[in-house]
Amino acid sequence: MSLLHLSFYSAFTLSGLGLAFHRTHLISALLCLESIILSIYVALSIWPIESQTTTPTLMPILILTFSACEAGTGLAILVASTRTHGSDHLHNLNLLQC
Amino acid sequence: MEPTLLINTSTLTTLMILITPILLPLLSKKFKNSPTIITHTIKIAFLASLAPMTLFLHSGMESIATYWEWKFIMNFKIPLSLKMDQYSTMFFPIALFVTWSILQFAMWYMASEPHIDKFFFYLLMFLIAMLTLTTANNMFLLFIGWEGVGIMSFLLIGWWQGRAEANTAALQAVLYNRIGDIGLILSMAWLASTMNTWEIQQATSSAQTPTLPLLGLILAATGKSAQFGLHPWLPAAMEGPTPVSALLHSSTMVVAGIFLLIRTHPMLTNNQTALSLCLCLGALSTLFAATCALTQNDIKKIIAFSTSSQLGLMMVAIGLNLPHLAFLHISTHAFFKAMLFLCSGSIIHNLNGEQDIRKMGGLQKLLPTTTSCLTIGNLALMGTPFLAGFYSKDSIIEGLNTSYLNTWALLLTLLATAFTATYSLRMTLLVQTGFTRTATISPTNENNPAIINPITRLALGSILAGLLITSYTTPTKTLPMTMPMSTKTTAIIATALGIALALELMNMTHMLTQPKQNTYLNFSSTLGFFNLLIHRHTPTKLLNSGQKIATHLIDLSWYKKMGPEGLANLQTTATKTTTTIHTGLIKTYLGTFALSILITLSAQTLNN
Repeated sequence: MSLLHLSFYSAFTLSGLGLAFHRTHLISALLCLESIILSIYVALSIWPIESQTTTPTLMPILILTFSACEAGTGLAILVASTRTHGSDHLHNLNLLQC
Repeated sequence: MEPTLLINTSTLTTLMILITPILLPLLSKKFKNSPTIITHTIKIAFLASLAPMTLFLHSGMESIATYWEWKFIMNFKIPLSLKMDQYSTMFFPIALFVTWSILQFAMWYMASEPHIDKFFFYLLMFLIAMLTLTTANNMFLLFIGWEGVGIMSFLLIGWWQGRAEANTAALQAVLYNRIGDIGLILSMAWLASTMNTWEIQQATSSAQTPTLPLLGLILAATGKSAQFGLHPWLPAAMEGPTPVSALLHSSTMVVAGIFLLIRTHPMLTNNQTALSLCLCLGALSTLFAATCALTQNDIKKIIAFSTSSQLGLMMVAIGLNLPHLAFLHISTHAFFKAMLFLCSGSIIHNLNGEQDIRKMGGLQKLLPTTTSCLTIGNLALMGTPFLAGFYSKDSIIEGLNTSYLNTWALLLTLLATAFTATYSLRMTLLVQTGFTRTATISPTNENNPAIINPITRLALGSILAGLLITSYTTPTKTLPMTMPMSTKTTAIIATALGIALALELMNMTHMLTQPKQNTYLNFSSTLGFFNLLIHRHTPTKLLNSGQKIATHLIDLSWYKKMGPEGLANLQTTATKTTTTIHTGLIKTYLGTFALSILITLSAQTLNN
């Protein structure tokens, strides 16, 4: 694939792996989530240029909106868990553990 | 009257006479078997068996009588058919004559035995099995006789069952015979599947037979007739009482293997591989046994090795395509070998249990009749002209010299002939001549008709049997009549060389030269190292590999790896893996997230 495609594929993958394998703090997971969304935004922006149609030009704006809401929600969870458990360590979220 | 009917009826009469002592005690309670009754039964059966033999000699009539048919499966019938041909009509009187003499002797020899009735009963059972084997026309009946003689041999060798060596020897006999039985069953299976019959007529009618069933038959003969490779049981079988050795292991049972090959001879005729195998095996057996007999000190073991050597000679005759000569040798050999055993039994009892020839000597004056007959027997064994052994042995060696075969077999057989003379003469000289080396008080008394009559009867047979049989029966193949003088006298020269060698060896005894240990002496006295090497090594290896295969491989693999335990192990491993996923921690979910991403991306890449 072209260099452009490689750039946001690799950004997506690396961020996804970072989301999965950062084990200590919740905030690092949220940061990786943001970078996933960023790479998706870049990919969606490139798409109308490649297909020479103007209709999908709307998509990046929608994604941006959703990502902002999502970031806000994530931060709210972070603040809530810090208020209850005293830190944002991931292993505090263990209500489901048997 | 019609000869066929007479032959069939008289043979059946003989067999019925033999079965009488077994049936009558079952039918009436008053009838008790005793040794005298059984001996008289055998005598009457012998006289009755002279009838079919005379009919055969007079008219050349052979017959096959079928009495019953076992309809086994649809296409495969097993009849109970008895074949009265040259071999069985001639064998019957000879076997019964020898058995009669042996039983009469056994009444004296085993007189102090508490279970003498059972002993005679066993001998009678053995005889019936042997005669079944001889007259069988199909392999099934032959196999019944074969197994019967094997079982009775086991029971009779281990007669004195308190003695550990006797039990070991009996077990050895059964094991070695069993290995031969594998060969017999192989050929029976091949015959049943390829020719759909077990009748010997049908099996021998085809011109060419593949080598596989013949190898089976040769293996069977090797086991039963103690050829080299499956031979150690025959010297060990001397643990049994002397009448047992005389009957089973000299005249009748050990010739069963050779008899099988004689019966199935037409199958062997055109197969050069099988014939060469018989020839080389026989030559090797005869030389090996003769070599081992040179340094034996037990009188019965010398005679046992002599039997083994003569069996090798019979096998050589079969390998030369001369089955009638092998049968002639069986017939003449029965007489003098049984007589040698009876003489040795008389000597042993008269010396109060002494079997070592180094502790005998000068018996010619103490036991004149026995030792004279011992001399006659040894001379017949050596092939002295015009005694019984000459007609068969000399013919076989002439046949060897005038046929197209490998020189090695010829050389071995001639060497074995020389050795035969050597050990026979050594035994005679050490037992009969020289100064007495026995204990000072020996109750030597041979004035019992129970000893003298059988031995002299058999001596008469040893002298006359060869002449009578060759005069009255026509050979099936013409013997070569013209040959150079050196070829004709080869057997005599070999025997003379053996005698010279024996006389030289005797000097060592008289001049008290101590034999130094050398390789040849060690080879001969340890029976060729065969017993030492094979008897520990082979069973250990076999049993170990059996344990590996049966227990370790099959049990462990089926029960531990593939069966219940293996299943349980698989489940446990899978469960352990999935338990980490079921902990409910965030990282598991994040891990699945990463996995899904990776799978999707790789699928996309592969599609593109």
